[in-house]
Amino acid sequence: MKNLFYKFYIVGFMALTVWFIVIIWKVTFAHIIEEYHTRKEAIEIAKIKQQQEGEMKKSTFQKLILEGDERVKVYLGYKILEEKRIKGHFHHIGFDIGPDKRSHCIMCHGDMPHDNLKELRAFLNMHAFFVSCQTCHMRLEGTAKTGIYKWYDRASGEIVDSPVKKARPGSYVAKIIPFERVNGQLERIDSQDKIDFALEFKDKEKTLTEAQRSKAKKMIHQVVNKQPYVCEDCHRKDSPLLPFSELGYPKERIDSLTSTEVVGMIKNYTQFYMPRMLHPGETAPKEIQRDGTESKPTTLTLKTKQ
Amino acid sequence: MEKHPLIKIKDGKKYFYRFTLNQRIQHIILAWSVVTLVLTGMPLKFPDASWAPYLYALFGGIKYAPVIHKAFGSILLILFVYHVVYVIYLIYKYQIVPLKAAGKKNARNILLAFAKQPLVPNLKDAYDIKDLMKYLLFFTNRRPEGDKFTWKEKFDYWAPFWGMVVIGFSGLVMWNKELATMILPGQAINFSLIAHSDEALLAALFLFIWHWYNVHFSITVFPMGKVFITGYLPEELMVEEHYQHYTEVMKQAGLEHEILPPHGSHEVNQEGGHTL
Amino acid sequence: MRELKITSVTLPTFTLVLSLLMIFLTPDVYSADIGNCLLCHKYPGLSRVDEKGKLRLLYINEDIFNNSVHAKVKCEGCHLDIQKIPHDPAKKVDCLAECHIKEPSSEQKFSHKDIEKTVAMSVHSKYDKDGKEKKFSEDLPTCKECHDEPLYRPISFFKQVRAGISELSLSRCKSCHKKEDFIYKFYNHVTSRMHRTRNPLNIAESCSRCHDDLQIIKRHNLSAKAAFSYGETFHGKAARFMDERIPDCLDCHVKKGDASHLMLSKENPESAIHEKNKGKICASIDCHPSASPKLAKYGVHSEFSLDRSPAQYYFTVFFIILTGGTLLPLMGIILLDLIRKLFPNAMIRRRK
Repeated sequence: MKNLFYKFYIVGFMALTVWFIVIIWKVTFAHIIEEYHTRKEAIEIAKIKQQQEGEMKKSTFQKLILEGDERVKVYLGYKILEEKRIKGHFHHIGFDIGPDKRSHCIMCHGDMPHDNLKELRAFLNMHAFFVSCQTCHMRLEGTAKTGIYKWYDRASGEIVDSPVKKARPGSYVAKIIPFERVNGQLERIDSQDKIDFALEFKDKEKTLTEAQRSKAKKMIHQVVNKQPYVCEDCHRKDSPLLPFSELGYPKERIDSLTSTEVVGMIKNYTQFYMPRMLHPGETAPKEIQRDGTESKPTTLTLKTKQ
Repeated sequence: MEKHPLIKIKDGKKYFYRFTLNQRIQHIILAWSVVTLVLTGMPLKFPDASWAPYLYALFGGIKYAPVIHKAFGSILLILFVYHVVYVIYLIYKYQIVPLKAAGKKNARNILLAFAKQPLVPNLKDAYDIKDLMKYLLFFTNRRPEGDKFTWKEKFDYWAPFWGMVVIGFSGLVMWNKELATMILPGQAINFSLIAHSDEALLAALFLFIWHWYNVHFSITVFPMGKVFITGYLPEELMVEEHYQHYTEVMKQAGLEHEILPPHGSHEVNQEGGHTL
Repeated sequence: MRELKITSVTLPTFTLVLSLLMIFLTPDVYSADIGNCLLCHKYPGLSRVDEKGKLRLLYINEDIFNNSVHAKVKCEGCHLDIQKIPHDPAKKVDCLAECHIKEPSSEQKFSHKDIEKTVAMSVHSKYDKDGKEKKFSEDLPTCKECHDEPLYRPISFFKQVRAGISELSLSRCKSCHKKEDFIYKFYNHVTSRMHRTRNPLNIAESCSRCHDDLQIIKRHNLSAKAAFSYGETFHGKAARFMDERIPDCLDCHVKKGDASHLMLSKENPESAIHEKNKGKICASIDCHPSASPKLAKYGVHSEFSLDRSPAQYYFTVFFIILTGGTLLPLMGIILLDLIRKLFPNAMIRRRK
């Protein structure tokens, strides 16, 4: 017994010693090597400088994607604010919301996929922050339709309780996902099968033939409807698409979502147009002059919230 | 000498006297201040490490930790000066004075007296290191037979000795930068900082890994060597590390018949009878 | 249930202060948002990626904004050209624009134009002495390169100096002034102005954006990675341990009494870091009053680099070799010793 303990101890200490060796290497010779490499890099930079005065754009993934994502701490004395630093961004963000690790749409389309409608893209991206893609881009018909929507956690993907009352509007760590009925069973629309299918496609994409690839893409996008739900499908008083109260929205919030907020926004501006929001289907932006007599194009009619 | 017999027998086991009370107190002050200095200094060397702010906060953060660091640095420097005086005094009293009495006091003999101190590295250390490598690489089963102080102990003594000179001086320069730069150029502070922090890192890693392994964590002493408290080293360790000295002391004490064979400590492990 | 991860770490000592602060920070206290912009802009997801691949985040954190120096300025005060929803492509905010706020002592409309004039005299100006555009002038900073939204950093002076708002001081204000948001703002404004609006670390960080960039260093022939090397000194390290009294970049590079935007080159005899003025920085009454001018010869920005500080480089290499050269063989002996103890009786047998 004692013997066995000795052996364990010795082996354990060996591992510890190896760890020490690594540490000692890191605090000693590794520095010399690192300095050597930075020096080489500096020479490299100087060379590029001679080649193309002033213009050096390394278009590597590292440079463009990873290095742009700095974090910064703002020390206020009484507290420390930690946030992402977006180059050139003036206002503070103040908190983080981790990426959505569940959605398989985002894997290809990204977190901010809306790009086409110039007037609305930021709005749509804002909604995509807490509403899953499937909520708007799929229309459940017939037996599949359940009218059940739940929140899922951005990080774990699990169904969670409503975050609405615990966080500020729009800054939830969860997203709304619809439920469908498959063979009488209630199932979330982004079922594991669908995610696995998309993942496998992504994995094997390079090895597929043209026909196979097209077929896989078709299968993945099969469920997507050409006519997504639009703003007023939810932002309306009578039978909105989303069951707000079941999703945990308090009454005041529902009221403002289904009327006052939109109306309030319109009221504050003499000039207002939001074509697709009020008139879905129309293509060209059309100006709506709410009050012709008061309209001064350059000034704002300012009203306080009270 | 009566109070501290060279060999003490307790519960049938022999213990060998190695360090006087004065030396043990010096060592404890040294250890205590070095640990504190390392704990208050390392967060400054590695300020970005995850543990650094917590460790520093334990010593009162940037407001108090530097004060503690300086206080213990002073203790260490005073100890260093005391130690040097103490050693020279001992040599003077027990070696130079008898020389004088014998009328052989000349520069050569005094130098010889210093060179023959048990802690001064000598040729035997080189042979011991060679023999140890032979033993460690399985060429032999005989450990080198160490004298009173083995090469490891000499290393343990001289490394901090040199360290204290470097760290102490550079520390004083940085502490009294205004005064120091009256004489030294401003760049001296740059060099002091490098010397202070790098040498301290060396000393800390040396002491906490190498020294602690040899005196505490090696399985022959684990969990803790007690000689730094009691001053007495158990027989089996004496046999393992200082066999040459051991036989001398045993003979002096008239215990020739009780001298153990070398490497007695290995018998503990032989129960399992494992061989390659 | 996971909450929204707000990673602003609160120092335990000041939680109380913070909670008090939050009471003051209820959105109704300030109403810079007269246009009700926050109706949409309070949503963190309001964003898009523009044609150049740049993230355009249109989110405003109301709590933080209300605690910023611009809290009283309406959104439209800076974003002048936004007049309808959805907005037309908006121009970048011009910091030099005259703003709706009036400077109380002169009743003039407020503007940052004077600061622009100071910057134009400094080393950071895009034009040289003769008014010619400098080489690589696009590297030289404009307002937003160094400044993100400045936040109030109030300090309490009531019997004890500490960070945050002194509720005792506030209660004294209240005895004469009735409007709570006025008191709150005035307190913040005044006490934030009594010290740096930014912590030494944040100042070093904003300088590091350019001064630690190897490309910019090469292009402009700068002598060191300035913020990085500052971080290696005791000053920089103390700053990392949240010492507010420690000097930051501005303390040495701007002459005492000058505007902090008037940063001058070390070649300029007027500059604080010019050879003949340098000694005065260290010997400042708040720092090392008894220091000789030689102390200023200390290489603040020397670093472990063969190009930039060869003497320090070789000196450090000596210690690195000493450390590694001593410790690594010793570690080897420990490892061998452990192996030997694992097989105490093994031995390579040799023929007789």
